[in-house]
Amino acid sequence: MIVAEQKPLAEIKGIVAPYQRLLVLGCGTCTKTCFAGGEDEVATLASALRLAFKKDGKTIKVQELTVERQCEDEFIKQAAPLVGGIDAVLSLACGAGVQMVASRFRKIPVLPGLNTTFIGVLEKQGLFIEKCLGCGNCVLDDFAGVCPTTRCSKKLFNGPCGGSKNGKCEVNPETECAWQLIIDRAKEFGQLDKLKAYSPPRDWRTSHAGGPRKLVREDHIV
Amino acid sequence: MSSGINRSSGSMLQQLLSRGEFAVTAEAGPPRGANAEVVSRKGAILKGYVDAVNVTDNQTAIVRMCSLAACTHLLQLGIEPVLQMVTRDRNRIALQSDIMGAFSLGIRNMLCLSGDHQSFGSQPDALNVFDIDSTNLVNAVKNMRDEGKDMSGFALDVAPQMFIGAAENPFADPFEYRVIRLAKKIAAGADFIQTQCVYDMPRFREWIRLAREQGLTEQVHILAGVTPMKSARMAKYMATKVPGMTVPDSLIKRLEGAGKEKGAEEGIKVCLETIQEMRELKGVHGVHIMAIEWEDHVPEIVKGAGLYPRPRAA
Amino acid sequence: MTLPHTKRFRPRITVFHCLNASAEPALESSADYEVKAVNMPCSSIIREVFLLRAFEAGADAVALLVCPEGQCHNVNGNIRAARRVARMKRMIDEIGLDGRRLNIYNIPPGNKLAIQHAIRQTVHDATALGPNPAA
Repeated sequence: MIVAEQKPLAEIKGIVAPYQRLLVLGCGTCTKTCFAGGEDEVATLASALRLAFKKDGKTIKVQELTVERQCEDEFIKQAAPLVGGIDAVLSLACGAGVQMVASRFRKIPVLPGLNTTFIGVLEKQGLFIEKCLGCGNCVLDDFAGVCPTTRCSKKLFNGPCGGSKNGKCEVNPETECAWQLIIDRAKEFGQLDKLKAYSPPRDWRTSHAGGPRKLVREDHIV
Repeated sequence: MSSGINRSSGSMLQQLLSRGEFAVTAEAGPPRGANAEVVSRKGAILKGYVDAVNVTDNQTAIVRMCSLAACTHLLQLGIEPVLQMVTRDRNRIALQSDIMGAFSLGIRNMLCLSGDHQSFGSQPDALNVFDIDSTNLVNAVKNMRDEGKDMSGFALDVAPQMFIGAAENPFADPFEYRVIRLAKKIAAGADFIQTQCVYDMPRFREWIRLAREQGLTEQVHILAGVTPMKSARMAKYMATKVPGMTVPDSLIKRLEGAGKEKGAEEGIKVCLETIQEMRELKGVHGVHIMAIEWEDHVPEIVKGAGLYPRPRAA
Repeated sequence: MTLPHTKRFRPRITVFHCLNASAEPALESSADYEVKAVNMPCSSIIREVFLLRAFEAGADAVALLVCPEGQCHNVNGNIRAARRVARMKRMIDEIGLDGRRLNIYNIPPGNKLAIQHAIRQTVHDATALGPNPAA
């Protein structure tokens, strides 16, 4: 899922300060799953904002709504009836969702309540880890199912580097060395030999380096 | 030496190694500023005592004068430089460009590295590059030299004839994979290898043995890294704070035992013992002395190791 | 005539309690304080927003009464509740209301003395911290 974290309350307060009537808009998909922007989080944040401004002697009106997801118009339009009576939307979706809402409700500011970070997994209870950075050319079959682009701090395709120690990355002793993982896993199913092959320089055109990307499905356009 | 096509690069280091001489190289770090004097001073100390001088490339991701410029200052003193180049800060466009520039200025040796992560340095807020890795860089330089083509396949008007080096760390994990990695770098085009500095001799011997068994020591010139310890405190610092470093407790104890006054003297003794062992170790073709900010002790080390005067080029 | 600053402050406290910890009707208002009691089948039912809404409704202090560690009918309910309380204490600090207004108490089931102590402590906290600035 896409993982995001709520901005600190002080920062959000600063972002919404110019506005009297807010809609806190939650997302029921990725940001709900990482406990940053689902229904519960919308309720808590709305209440916290009311209290915080009341304490300053300012009354703000905060409405709450959570839609299935904010990356599709189909669901965003459920918020349309509320837009006439508000000054700004505080979106608790990922950056993509915030922008989608902003492009639909053009007459009012749409503000981000989260910092979107990575594409990742819930590794175990309470722990989300980055696994994919969307390079556009997946070669996980060459690396025993461990991505060297995302999980190696230096994006090495002919790793490891000289800083791998006890299976950990030199950058952070809590980060696993991706190359240790690749080698261990390849050994497990007898494909260590595959790693002897030289990996040539990558073509980064499929990644974000080539510019913002899009996907067109002609067969879906009626 | 590595690929069968043996074009002389005009590198004195290459000439000596090809003749079977035990080579000595050293390291000089550029200043954190634009003062060419610092480089010249270090060069003057090392001149005549080593066969070539490596100039580091923003080592530990701390911003310093660029290696290319510092190498050029050394050339002007009649010293042969080894241009170190990391892939952390430059993409393939900039790397190839700098290699051509380096050759045009008279630089004939380079060491290809990935580089320490920027989180260790003076600009942890910077975006890193890592467009290609060190093995890709080795291969790119080899193709530039032997095919006369850049990475896009374009035929270069003058191909840079570099003597190509790569780094290996026999002390990083996973141990058994290190020799596979060495083989990869040789296949990619490495002519010489400089290793991380050695304090754990048994582990280093084991690594060389494995490399020898695979015939790799016949295909590439390995120069073992050595760094004299200045004190027990330095030993402890390197044991814990420097990425990719292994320092045995026995060495720390030995330096502590020598007392504060004699720490440096003991450190140099250890260094000389290590160099002697390297001279006797089959498969090791030289030493790379990394006396960081202690360059003025290199002459005494080279002399003490019986490696002075240095052989002349043909 | 009583001047505003000498008018006696009668703290309003909200007590969330797990029915297993205290089914007692011991949570009653008095002349000195007002108690609003909210019962739940298990303290793990508590949602963070309930704690904040109690303050929005005018509470000067809020207490959560839960079963002692290891004695939750629903295994970890009391531990989850404790984590949420800890998080909301920090949030209430960030809001600027002082996180000490919110506390959690472990009550051996049906122990009247423990309940009374929890109430007394909560009223004391409310008095010491003063009226809720966002009420």
